[in-house]
Amino acid sequence: MWAEPNALLGRQGKAIDALIEKSPPDDLPDEQIVALCQRGETKYFEILVRRYMEKAFHIALNFTRNTEEAKDLSQDAFLRAFTRINQFDGRSSFYTWFYRLVVNICLDATRRKNRVGWESLEAVNESAPERPELTDNSRLPEEVTMAREAKRRADRTLETMPNKQRTAFLLRNHQGLSIADIAKVMKTTEATVRVYLHRAVSALRQSLLEFV
Amino acid sequence: MSERRIALENACGEFEADLVLYYYGEGSVVERHRIENHLDGCRRCARFMDDLRGLLPQMSKTTELPQSFWDNYYREVVHKLEQAQERKSWWRGLVPTFGGWAIPAFGTAVVAVLAVALVFGNGDWSLRSSSTSQESIPQEILSDSGRLEFFNSLDLLESLATLEKMDGSGPEKVEFHNL
Repeated sequence: MWAEPNALLGRQGKAIDALIEKSPPDDLPDEQIVALCQRGETKYFEILVRRYMEKAFHIALNFTRNTEEAKDLSQDAFLRAFTRINQFDGRSSFYTWFYRLVVNICLDATRRKNRVGWESLEAVNESAPERPELTDNSRLPEEVTMAREAKRRADRTLETMPNKQRTAFLLRNHQGLSIADIAKVMKTTEATVRVYLHRAVSALRQSLLEFV
Repeated sequence: MSERRIALENACGEFEADLVLYYYGEGSVVERHRIENHLDGCRRCARFMDDLRGLLPQMSKTTELPQSFWDNYYREVVHKLEQAQERKSWWRGLVPTFGGWAIPAFGTAVVAVLAVALVFGNGDWSLRSSSTSQESIPQEILSDSGRLEFFNSLDLLESLATLEKMDGSGPEKVEFHNL
């Protein structure tokens, strides 16, 4: 099933061939898989899909709040990464390069829609299964309502905040990327990311003040 | 959230940004010690931190999706990749078919055709069109040279009228141009 790597492509190719012999393809690091894809062994790209599909989908879901849209956008990101794999120059890690593609696709989609997705947000809120903490029978109905409203308010604040703040916040809070990696994804400085992050958290705090 | 306290407390102005970073595990050891020392003595900032710890993880919670969703997702991506690969290989397949010589050969052929056309046509592209216009004149008119002159003068008058219309000027101006 796996194509035999072409062993005639120089020192890097030989190094990769040696690595493949030692370990199964699924264990190869991202950069080696990318190198294989760049040599025409495109079948290996499927490993990257398996490795990053959940993360890509959840980033898109954070932005869109809509499962179907998130699926389409994250799949588009894989397609774009696949067709542009030769443009990856290895100066950054694959995942920061790929995250950047996903984020850009999501931001483009948001701009195209020219709205913040209230409809889909409402749809998600209505259709999503209740979280355990919100359906806890030990809680008073008013508390449940208040917590739900707080969640909705937080989501709305997140969707209306400037894209850069939102991106920094989502990548840190929801995806767990380090400030340094977010800076690479957003092509900015770490200091700027810190500012975005603080502003995003401050905006969320402001939106929730009335729930004290 | 367990204390049902959803909103965040105000923190000390100079520490608020650092507290956010502290929450996310950022900053040097020295910086983190500085914040921890401050948190020990500042109730407002300690509560702010509690609020961050209560609120922010709640926001990042994701709904678990069934394995069938991911199986489907993966299949769809692979299918799209295969389609992209086919599209890519369609035009790339032409290059090996014709070999690397195809593009220079095509270019050479075009240049050769142009050169032949210029040499044998003496560069006079209007010759062919003028003969065509001669051919389009009916035989009855061509047979009588007087009639031909009459129709040529009609053409001239028509041209003058057209020029007048285009310029929006009187016949004097047209005559001036003709001179």
